[in-house]
Amino acid sequence: MNAAVRSLRAGGLFAATLALAATGQAAAPTTKPIASGDLHFFETKIRPLLADKCYKCHSQTSDKVRGGLLLDTREATLAGGNTGPSVVPGKPDESLLIQAVRYKDEDLQMPPKGEKLSDQEVADLTEWVRRGAPDPRSAAVVAGGTKAYGGVGKNHWAFKPVQKPQVPAVQNAAWIKNPVDAFVLAKLEGAGMTPNSPAEKAVLIRRLYFDLIGLPPRPSEVQEFVKDTSPDAYAKIVDRLLNTQQYGEHWARYWLDVVRYSDTKGDAKGQEDNRFPHAWTYRDWVIDAFNADLPYNQFILSQLAGDAMQRARERNTKDKSDTSVGNRWPLAAMGFVTLGNQFNGRREDIIGDQIDVTTKAFLGLTVTCARCHDHKFDPITMKDYYALYGVFANCDKPAALPTLQAKVPQTADYFDYLEKSAALDKREAELKAQREEFQRAVRTSKGKNATAKIDPKTRQQLQRSERELQRDITNLEAQHPGAPARANVVTDVPRPRDYPVLLRGEATNKGEIVPRRFIEVISPDPKKRPVWNEGSGRVQLAQAIADPKNPLTARVLVNRIWQQHWGAGFVDTPDDLGNMSSTPTHPELLDWLAATFVENNWSIKSLHRLIVLSAAYQQSSLNNPHYAETDPNNKLLWRYNLRRMDFEELHDSLLAITGELDRTYGGRPVAISSEGFAKRRAIYTLIDRTNPPELLTQFDFPSPDVATGRRYETLVPQQALFLMNSPMVIETARKLVDRPAFKEVETDEKRVVLLYLAIFQRWPTNQEVALGLKYVKSNPTGTDVVLTSELSAAKLSAKDARIAAKKAQSAKQQGRFNQQVGGVYDNLTPLDTWAKFAHALFQSNEATFYN
Amino acid sequence: MSSTHESTEPSHDHAHPCRGISTNLEDYFLTRRQLLSRMGMGLGALSLANLIDPHHVMAAAPAGKLPAGPLAPRPSHFPGKAKAVIHIFAQGAPSHLDTWDPKPMLAKMDGKTIGPEGIALGSPFSFSKYGQSGLEVSSAFAKTAAHADDLAVIRSMWTDIPAHEVATVFMNTGSLRIAKPSLGSWLVYGLGTENQNLPGFIALRGSGLPPGGSTNYQSAFLPGVYQGASINTQAPSVAQMIQNIRNTYVSKNEQRRQLDFVHQLNEIHAKNLQRDAALETRLESYEIAFRMQAEALDAFDINKESAETRAAYGPGEQGKQLLIARRLVERGVRMVQVWHNGWDHHQQLQSRLSKKAEEIDQPLAALLGDLKQRGLLDSTLVVWGGEFGRKSTRDRNGYDDPGRDHNAKAFSMVLAGGGIKGGTVHGATDEFGTAAVTDKVHPHDLHATILHCMGMDHTKLTYRFNGRDFRLTDVAGNVVKPILA
Repeated sequence: MNAAVRSLRAGGLFAATLALAATGQAAAPTTKPIASGDLHFFETKIRPLLADKCYKCHSQTSDKVRGGLLLDTREATLAGGNTGPSVVPGKPDESLLIQAVRYKDEDLQMPPKGEKLSDQEVADLTEWVRRGAPDPRSAAVVAGGTKAYGGVGKNHWAFKPVQKPQVPAVQNAAWIKNPVDAFVLAKLEGAGMTPNSPAEKAVLIRRLYFDLIGLPPRPSEVQEFVKDTSPDAYAKIVDRLLNTQQYGEHWARYWLDVVRYSDTKGDAKGQEDNRFPHAWTYRDWVIDAFNADLPYNQFILSQLAGDAMQRARERNTKDKSDTSVGNRWPLAAMGFVTLGNQFNGRREDIIGDQIDVTTKAFLGLTVTCARCHDHKFDPITMKDYYALYGVFANCDKPAALPTLQAKVPQTADYFDYLEKSAALDKREAELKAQREEFQRAVRTSKGKNATAKIDPKTRQQLQRSERELQRDITNLEAQHPGAPARANVVTDVPRPRDYPVLLRGEATNKGEIVPRRFIEVISPDPKKRPVWNEGSGRVQLAQAIADPKNPLTARVLVNRIWQQHWGAGFVDTPDDLGNMSSTPTHPELLDWLAATFVENNWSIKSLHRLIVLSAAYQQSSLNNPHYAETDPNNKLLWRYNLRRMDFEELHDSLLAITGELDRTYGGRPVAISSEGFAKRRAIYTLIDRTNPPELLTQFDFPSPDVATGRRYETLVPQQALFLMNSPMVIETARKLVDRPAFKEVETDEKRVVLLYLAIFQRWPTNQEVALGLKYVKSNPTGTDVVLTSELSAAKLSAKDARIAAKKAQSAKQQGRFNQQVGGVYDNLTPLDTWAKFAHALFQSNEATFYN
Repeated sequence: MSSTHESTEPSHDHAHPCRGISTNLEDYFLTRRQLLSRMGMGLGALSLANLIDPHHVMAAAPAGKLPAGPLAPRPSHFPGKAKAVIHIFAQGAPSHLDTWDPKPMLAKMDGKTIGPEGIALGSPFSFSKYGQSGLEVSSAFAKTAAHADDLAVIRSMWTDIPAHEVATVFMNTGSLRIAKPSLGSWLVYGLGTENQNLPGFIALRGSGLPPGGSTNYQSAFLPGVYQGASINTQAPSVAQMIQNIRNTYVSKNEQRRQLDFVHQLNEIHAKNLQRDAALETRLESYEIAFRMQAEALDAFDINKESAETRAAYGPGEQGKQLLIARRLVERGVRMVQVWHNGWDHHQQLQSRLSKKAEEIDQPLAALLGDLKQRGLLDSTLVVWGGEFGRKSTRDRNGYDDPGRDHNAKAFSMVLAGGGIKGGTVHGATDEFGTAAVTDKVHPHDLHATILHCMGMDHTKLTYRFNGRDFRLTDVAGNVVKPILA
């Protein structure tokens, strides 16, 4: 049930029984022609009245239909809404519509909020019902070709084509650096506000480094930039940073949040091992894609149909000896489809998750709400859902995942791997034979002349062996140095077919078979949607999403990128741009950027440049008490937002500051939060879906089960405890001051300056130097060290230590991930006065925020 | 719903120690930014003075002044019987039919087809009457049942969707759709907490996260200080339960001096940026963290309990958690949630449910006895239950040793302690226990009732967000009065 649930939670469904479906099951329409007098009465008195007073909330063109009631067709009017039929022809007193307009019943008053109809209007409606509610309006005429819509919210802005707006004129044209600024300034000027002054250069470069690569600048880089007065000094740094590998490592993480990336299956099927031993090849593909500025339309195509991309690539390569042909890079992208929770093998749930991630990530739509009923807030029907269901249902996982390189290098490690792998294959074959024999025995025992009984222990033993085998196979794939990297692909089934709607989402309750095709409301021509019959339809699905005419794709991506640069998007729900989302803060700018993005060949790096080169982005983030009152959330962008570092930025910057960061690019996941603290960037940490690293979750790392386009920003004492007490932080401080270069510095003043430069990447003021010196003098090295009694309380008891060691060992053997929960260290080395000072700087706000 | 806005005058009992403090919660929390700008200074200035002196926070605020900090105790809407909540979340949806809701008719029909639902599955557990009230409880909860006269059982719970994650999150937040604050967050937002050195809301769990993860104890749009602190009690030592709770490098005094220095650095930084609210709330979390170090090591250390007490709670994980829960409540923590996972019994009902019940039955009985003996039961509301119930029929997957499938239409909830009338049964399911039929209780109603026991009117506990007032019970919720003392 989990997939349904997930979509419900994220997408929106309240169990209220909005009976929209009822519009299709109206009472039998009268076939009797309407008397001309009645028709005249309806056309002159009733139709205008309904249109004027009721259609706002009760027609198929309503933005939100209230109470499940439509009053724009005869059928719908008779069928009524949640509370029952609205009109009983000939019986005004029994008609809810009449009761409502009479305003007698406190709970049923329409139109609402005291907009009571005039007595004449009430009398007209009553007369109309008394006459038998003659009504010429038929569903066919009103609904036209769009009858299949859920009927709500199709006029929502995000479903309309992107139209590139004119760049607005502004008064203060001198402020404008690029068109982004014109849109921002026009809004500010409209509100009688002015943007903040430009940020200081040292502030700006720190912001830019964290924003683009997630790491702080070196003090020397800050100095160079401050000194460089050439007009393109800033643009040069932007280009340089966008060309570093660290850029991709930083930005890929946000996409991994969106695609609920994990190295484990969550709920593995049967005796399967819980790990995805090759998940990391997808993670690395995302990093590579950002670094290569893979056009976003290809980014989409690869993730949904990397196999087709690969085939096309091979076809187009003339030189078959080209080594890059052997690289099946696009295949790795399909981890997008395959790396979700496995729901104990429940197919409907796995597909539900695939639809969920596809529609949220690329389209900002909560399509999975339509798994059990038409979407309550967006014009998405169950048929839309099951049309997409068919696409994923026609996909299968191959028995063996393909290697990323067509020709695996023939190393000694590889041969060793092959040998071990063959031994496991043999074990697998033996177990398979045992399983078949067992099943035969079970069948026999259930037969009429059964004599032999099945020993339940045999079943258990078999399951245990199967589990152990799966674990050993996964260990080999995940750990053996010669195990080749593999792509987490799906393939199309040999004979694809269409699937039925599952009524109420129940697997056994099959309804109408629906052809595979795109979501109606965002199809270029909703009335003529092509049916997808080539293979599963994944390629066509990807193409429909990556269609420049798709109203959502570019907007959703632009909103995501903008949000990441600013800390807030135009729309504050990046995974849902549907009717439940907030109105964009800058709709014209969003559309202008979306159109420009597509014109620039879907280049994400060009989009970054447009944003960070704008004057708006380069503003200072100083607070303005007056504006903070009128626009506290900075919706109008009168300043750059103050940004709290996310966990990855905080972690990576600590290591970068001491020069300890291991800049190895890509590869198998590592443990960064458990003892030993791998010095890799945080993106390379192993993510266990069932048990995500606690340290990360304390810092708002999102659930790897739900597409998350925006992390929460919470403030819990555990975050403070990490900075106050974690050996990782304290040892970082110690390393910083233990360097000979630091020890050799001649004066304490200079030491304070050096630490400010290293940790905050700026010069301290005289006041700060004085304050630092005072602290250092009053907290000399070696005094007031830990009291033995206090320390012993913190030590693990011998018994606890044995238990912990045993647990860790057994977890390793069983292929589970041992995420250490605590951080107990017995470090008796007293902290140097300078280490204490550096540690204080790490705990301060300035080290965890950039502005 | 807007009554909290209008109450500029304190409406509560004049004898209350916090007399003179506005009960308008949103004066303090309307939004983090607005609060601070409204105060005309920033929390930083306030906190620097107040927080460095830990006693200041505990002292009653002078009349007319703001109470110190967002976690300071605040008056309830009306005098509530309970001061704290211990919520034991039996996650996975325990079967009501095998625990708290006896169905003799179902036993009679065992193995027969009962309507479209399938084949009846009579409970393999026997039910007996307990206490003077004669409360009928299954053998699975025999030890807890010894406290029958302190228990109120709601047998007519129902919820919206029978899927674990969504229903679990719903039971905690009252929301299926958008992220909303959890019950514990609302409680601490409304009432503050009695102990400034511990988080006001603590979730005790095993090594895994519950379905829905931290959404279950999130503060959502409420300020972050109201988020539940989630603690893994399976860690091998107290110091490991709360990551980084201990600094093994420097002494307390030295750390205090360092933290004061950090505050000075922050003060300069905040001034340079012209006082941004986001910076200043962070200071508070450092102070809580600092105080937590000493208090938490003590509070979570069950070795400080007598051997007898520990034995009473039993050797298992749930015993440990409930004993910690009691220690936390005793120290003034507002809400403790205890996660007991694994109640999803689609097959092997008898053996699996027995095992689960065994894990919690003795500890729960011990908790009730212990609280009572210490005079804490009257002020502590204990709640046991899951996210939905089970069907009266065999699971459709056709297991040899069947269990029950999900059922949102009926389940049971057990309450005891502060504000609860013991020996009570409220509501009823139909004769097979398939659906609640009499006096139905929805999670919104349960939430309203819990808040009521704590002295809070669920319609008045509101927070303005995205242009409207939100509350835990959305636009619903009725207090279940018959179970109140």
